Formats: sequence, C-alpha cells, structure tokens
Amino acid sequence: MKIHQGYSLVRVWGYVGFASLLFLVTWVWTIQIDRALGIPTFASGWVLFGILTFIALFSARKRLPFLPLAPSSRWFLLHAVGGFLALFLFWLHTGGVGSKGFYGQVLTALFYITSISGMVGLAMEKFYPRQLTCSGAEVIYERIPGEIAEIREEVESQVLKCTEETGSSTLAEHYLETLNWYFQKPRFFMNNVFGSHLSQHWVRQQCMILERFLDEKERGYLDRVFMLAEKKRKIDFQYALQTLLKTWLLVHIPLAGAVMAMVFWHLILILVFFV
Amino acid sequence: MEENKFGHDQSQYERPNLPYRCGRASLWQTPCNQGPEADGTCGGVRECTPFLKNDRWECRRDKRFGGPCEDGPGPGGECSIQRPPCAPRSTLRVIRGRLVVLAVGAILALIGSSLVLDPRFGGVISISDAGPLSKSHAKFTEKEGCSACHGVHGKGPVAWIKAVFDNSDLSIHCVNCHSFGGPSFKAHNASLSPDRKVQDTQCIMCHREHSGPTMSTRFLTPEQCNSCHKNQFESLEHGHPEFSEKFPYFSRNSVKFDHSSHLKKHFDNPKFSDKAPGACSGCHMITLSDQEIRPEGYEVVCASCHDSQIKKKELILLRLPELAQDLIDRKSLVQACNFPGSHAKVEEEFLSISTEQLALVTAFLLNIPEDDLETYDQPLQDLIFSMAEDSYAPFAELIDGQSENSMSENLLASLNPEVLKRAACSWGLNQEYEPPAEARFGGWYADMLEIRYKPAGHADPVAKSWVEFALAVSTKQGEEDRASRAIAMREQILSVKDGVGGCVKCHAVTEVKNSKGDSRLVVEWNYKNDDERPYMRYKHDNHIEILGTKRSCANCHILNKEVDYMASYKEYDPGNWVSNFESIRKKTCMQCHSETQINLECQRCHMYHFKPRFKKDMLPVKAEPPSST
Repeated sequence: MKIHQGYSLVRVWGYVGFASLLFLVTWVWTIQIDRALGIPTFASGWVLFGILTFIALFSARKRLPFLPLAPSSRWFLLHAVGGFLALFLFWLHTGGVGSKGFYGQVLTALFYITSISGMVGLAMEKFYPRQLTCSGAEVIYERIPGEIAEIREEVESQVLKCTEETGSSTLAEHYLETLNWYFQKPRFFMNNVFGSHLSQHWVRQQCMILERFLDEKERGYLDRVFMLAEKKRKIDFQYALQTLLKTWLLVHIPLAGAVMAMVFWHLILILVFFV
Repeated sequence: MEENKFGHDQSQYERPNLPYRCGRASLWQTPCNQGPEADGTCGGVRECTPFLKNDRWECRRDKRFGGPCEDGPGPGGECSIQRPPCAPRSTLRVIRGRLVVLAVGAILALIGSSLVLDPRFGGVISISDAGPLSKSHAKFTEKEGCSACHGVHGKGPVAWIKAVFDNSDLSIHCVNCHSFGGPSFKAHNASLSPDRKVQDTQCIMCHREHSGPTMSTRFLTPEQCNSCHKNQFESLEHGHPEFSEKFPYFSRNSVKFDHSSHLKKHFDNPKFSDKAPGACSGCHMITLSDQEIRPEGYEVVCASCHDSQIKKKELILLRLPELAQDLIDRKSLVQACNFPGSHAKVEEEFLSISTEQLALVTAFLLNIPEDDLETYDQPLQDLIFSMAEDSYAPFAELIDGQSENSMSENLLASLNPEVLKRAACSWGLNQEYEPPAEARFGGWYADMLEIRYKPAGHADPVAKSWVEFALAVSTKQGEEDRASRAIAMREQILSVKDGVGGCVKCHAVTEVKNSKGDSRLVVEWNYKNDDERPYMRYKHDNHIEILGTKRSCANCHILNKEVDYMASYKEYDPGNWVSNFESIRKKTCMQCHSETQINLECQRCHMYHFKPRFKKDMLPVKAEPPSST
C-alpha cells in the first residue's frame, strides 16, 4: 500500500506508533520518578534532548549523500514524526510553558516557532507537489528566470512581427502599456499561493479590451500572445509554490540551529547549577 | 511544456548547491550559458573559451547553445561574443547557511554578553536567569544574589566544569537559612533508628524556585507517600487507620476548665446564667483560629465569676506564736527600734501576748516545728530581733538559703521594710502591732500578730512566686522533718480554699523531669500549644466557615458527661488524663471527606517537615541613626 510521495502507510504508522510508544514510556517513567520523589523533568529532558539531536541529524544526513544512511525520504519521515514527538515531550517536560526566566522564554519561543514552521513546511511538502504536478507545466526552479525571459522574448517578437505585417501599432502599444508589466517577471505571487485565478482573469480582460480594435490578422497574433501569457501564468504558479517550498527552510533551519544552541546552554546551566 | 526541453543535450545541468547564481537570471533576464565562477565573479562575459589547436583558435561554444559561432575566436584567442559582466547573487542554500550562522551567532553572542554584562552590574539582560524567585527568597537573597543558593555562581569556568561532575549543593544552601526539629536531609526530619534504611532527602525533591512570586512546592500524592511508607493506603476513606484512642486530646490542658460542670451546672445556675457565654465562640477566639482555637484570656472568660475569689486568699509569712519566755535583750531592741521613752526590761513573770501557732512558712524557713514552743522559742525571737534590726534582710537570707537561685527578690517584692520593722519591734516588746489603717488594696501588710500578703488580682507576681517556691522546695530531697514541713507549707499555700496559691484550682501542676532524671513540679501558667503532633495539621477556620459558627463545634467535639475530668489533675502526670470530650473518630471526618464529596490527600492533614524554623535573622538591616550634620 502506498500513499502519495512514495511513503508506505505501514512505515508511516510504524514510525508514529514507535514515537507514541516512546512518549508513553517516557511519560510513565516520569510518573514513577515523581512518585519516588525524584525530579521527573530530568528524565523527560534527557529524552527530549535525544530526540532533538536525532531530528537535527537530518540536516547532517543531507550533507552526507555518499553514506548509505537510508534514503532521504525516510529521514524526512523520521524527522517529521520526531518533530511531533519532540513537541509532546516538550509539553511533558515544561508543562506547556517554559520557565519564567529570560532564557527559558527565549528557548520556549524559539522551540514553538521552529515547531510551527516545521508543521507549516510539512503541510506544504505534503500538498504543493501534487498541485505543481497537476498544473501541467513542471519546471526546475532555477530555470524559471530563463523560461520567463524566453516567453517574454517570444511575445515581443510576435508583437514586432504583427506590427511589421499589419502596419498597425495597436497591439504593440497595448503591449507596452499593459502586458509588458506582466511578462517582466513572476506576477500575482500571493494569488498563485492561495490558488486564485486573478492572473488569468487579468490577462483575459486585457486581451478582451484590445480584441475589438484589432483586425483578423492582429487577432491571430493576439491569440498567440494570450497563449504565451497562459504559459507564463503556469510558470508563475510554479514559481510561487516552489519559492514557498524552498524558503520555509530559511525560517525553520536557522531557528532550529538557535534552538539547539539554547538547548546546549540549558543543559550546561542545569548540569552546573542544579544537578 | 516541451517534453525534451530538459534533455541532457538540450539544457544544462542545474547545480543549486553552488554558492552563486547568475545575476542576469536574478533580474529575470536570459541567464548566460556558463553561469558564475566559483569565486562569485561573472562567467558570462564571453560565450566560450576558445581552444588553440594546430595554431588555430577554435570556438568551443556548446552544442546546446548553438554550437560554434560564425565569427569564431579573434586572432588572440578571445571569444568574439563579449558581454558586460553581471553581478552574481547568492543561492538560497548560501543564504540559508548565513541565516543559520546568524541565528546561532546571535544566541552565542547573547550568552557571551550576558556572562560579561550581568544585570546586577549594569548589564541589560541575563541569559542565565532561570526566572523570578518567590517573594520571600527574592528578598533574603537580594544582597548575595545567585550565589546565595548556587555556590558555583560567579566562580569562573573551572568551577563550572567541576560542578558538572559534583553533586548539587542546592539543598545545603537551603539549610543556611532553614532549620528543622530533626536532621535536615532525613525523611520528615525524623531521627530514625539506624536499622531503618531510609533514603536521604533533598529540598529540591519537592521545592522548586524560579517560578515567580509563589514558591512552587510539590503537593505529595498518596502514591508518593506510599513509595516510602509500609502502611500503604489510597485515601482517608480507603485504608487510613482509625484515629488513636485519645485523638485529638492527647495532652492535658494547662487550665482545668471542666466543660461538663460549666455547661451543665454553672451556666444553668440563675446566679451565673447572665454571665454565661451563648456559644463556644463566647470563650474561644474563632476569628484567630487555625489548628487550635485558643480560648480568650482570663479577663474575658473567667474574671466575671472568679475574680473576687482571688483577692480573698492570703499568705501568712509570719505569725507571732505563743512564747514561753522573753529572750530578747530589751535594751538592744529599744536601741534597734529607736523607741523614745522605752524602759529597760521589766523583771516580772512573762506572759505571751499570743496564743497562736507559728505560721507554716516561718516554721519551714526556720526549720522548726510550728507547735513545739520549747523548740521554736529561741530561733523565733532571734528572728524577730533581727527583723527589728534589719527588717526583711533575715527573711531574704532564709529564703535564699532554700534554693540554688535567689528567690527572695520575687517572693518579698514590694514588702515595705518599715512595716516589717515596726511589727517586729512591737512583738519584741510583747505587744500587738497596731496597723495605721485597714489593708484594702492588696500587697504586704502587718496586722496585729501577723505579716500577710494579699494578692491584687489574677496573675499576681508575688503570689505566683510563692506557688513556685512552695512547689520547688517541696520536691527537693532532704531530711524527713524538713520535707514534711515543706509539704505542709505547700499544702497551705496551694490550698484552693484559702491559700494564696489557690491558682492551682485552675492552673494545672505538672511534674517534669530534666535530662538527669530529676523531677520537679511546675505550674502551667499559660495556654499550652499542642506541639505533640508536629506532623498534623488541621484548619479550624475553613471548617467553621463552611459549617457556620453556631453549631459547627458540636459537630465534632461531643461532650462526654461520664468522665471525671477533674480527677486527671489530682496527679501530676499530664499523660494520664481524660478529656471532657469524646475522642474524634475517622467516621466523623468521613461525613464530608469521602471520595464522592471532599476528598482528602495525605498532606491536607499531615505536614511533611518536623518543626520547620528559620535560622537567619529576618531583619538583618537595622535602622541607622540619623547622621549628625
């Protein structure tokens, strides 16, 4: 049985089950320590530290592609499940909120923001690839500038050709006034992110306004411009979603680094002043 | 999208892991074929790098980008298609790496700066601050700061590394200020026998700091108590043993107040009924109630009925008894008394003015029989002559000779030496002493043949001192006659009917033993706090608030009419007593405290610590005198 993105359901639920079991064991352990008048936060803290270290290793794994350390997709799955486990362990460790000290609040805030960014990223990783495939114009992110430049050149050559062939500058003037803005770079970013069709309506409206002033030949060129605008719209969509898929890590990974730095500081303080 | 557009022979291989990307592409122009150089410079200023082959320069433009160009390389080997350079931009990967370094660096900078710039020394923040202390600890550690509890604080990295491998010293710092009735780090601060293996405790097991104004203290659950206690049970309802037979009236009251006789007899008597309280709160201070509800003071509770009785009881220090012969040198006496016109001793048969017996106090002090005229004749007349000469001095000497500590100052307080001297002079001349007026206001006075003391009222210090003196000397080991005289004096002083020490009608007399095993009798003058159950806690005020002030007491404290309450006070052993009230049973509490109503966990009724106290001076800062400017 397979689910989207190639994850085996059995594997997914296996990891979730293992994480749940680990959480339950830690929980019971803390209860037993608490009953024996020990300090249960030590137990939950060490387990949480282990999990955080493990999920941080995902970043190291990506830098070591030559080592046979299981496929990256499995690491990603483990990272996601481990992230949720870390969140529950954090609640167990802190009782929901961190300490009232400055460093505890910084650590808590960083941890929550990192967790939320991770969950947002996971949701995007889950839903956006399907939408990108279904859009019908898959393109490598790094090539989008070239694709847009190529479309723009094609549009401009069609407009020049139209002017030369028909002797009318109506299409060219209209292009310079309106459509030129659209073809310069990706547009309607947020609309594409939220799946709006505003860009399509905008292009169609610009063409419809112009259509009544054009003769038959010019309309043929306008149709080709419209087709290129449609292609550009799909690339804009690719650009918007792929940008989000790449840039959420600009939040998640630096914050995760800050969390780990704070965790090590927390550990030092506890070992020096409390244990 | 064209299917073969990304074919290996139609497009270049993208390397997003390289640090730079084409500057033209970043401006949404057509990117160049070569892309940026590894050092971040533009690689697209020329189309290709011509190759010298057989002395001819050949164009090496890739097939994907149109193959060799028409113009070919120049004679010097330069590409014929030149472009102005772009400004390559960093890739997302590099930006991400920089952000990681920035974020981690910011945290490290924060840690570093806070170690250098501690807020206490003018810094802004402290990254080591674990949170605000509780109000009390914040105040008392204000001067010392973190090192008040964390010994390693401010001692440098070497001490920190050492602390990692050493056990925490937090609890040791706690007992710098806190103390207990037993060992600090033993369970319940109890000194258990060595054969009982009980794990040592640490303060941080239950007490947590840095949680804000209120100290975070673990409230022990029954499971936690059960982890050490062998007698394990779930709650008061399930498994808790029955309360002990005497619960909660373990120790004898210091004041003998018979609730039965007062409630059922005296308060119903029409003579006193108008003075009787309407409810328990008439005598007990429920407004200040906690574990105990103390009774109000004597003036509120007892004075209205008993005050007049106190003033009727008197002490007879000295009574001129019948004398067999006049043994006092008249000339010396007249000289000592400075009587003008008195004559020398008249040689005629002596007839004693008194036919009374010697007072028991004097008999004890002189250690002579009070009824043997032959024996006491000489020492008593010597005493009278000494009194005529030195007033109270011979008495003070006799009293101080009875005990190790000087008691005469308290026993003879406010005794007018003139009165004593005048009475002695009269008796030396075999005359009665005529007082100038009746003694109405209490205190020492001489009257005909006696030196008396009349207490001014409740808690009279002289009367109390005589009671303590009588008890002290009567328990001392000594010769039989002397002991019997001490006991006779004690019985007279402590006589409930007319003795000045009738205080013991209400105040209990208890036998206490010192560390050597010697016992002595003491009067329990004051209300006694119940400290025999240091691990028990009960809040009367909460219960009264819920049950109401009228009948709430009688819900639990049921009068036991059968017992002889006062019989317990005939002996001096405080452990051997019965209360006026029936002991409280577990079922009484369970009327409300059950699992379905108000549940009870161990710490609601039992305290963990044994006699917790503070060691530290709570107000170390004393007011400074105003500066003299």
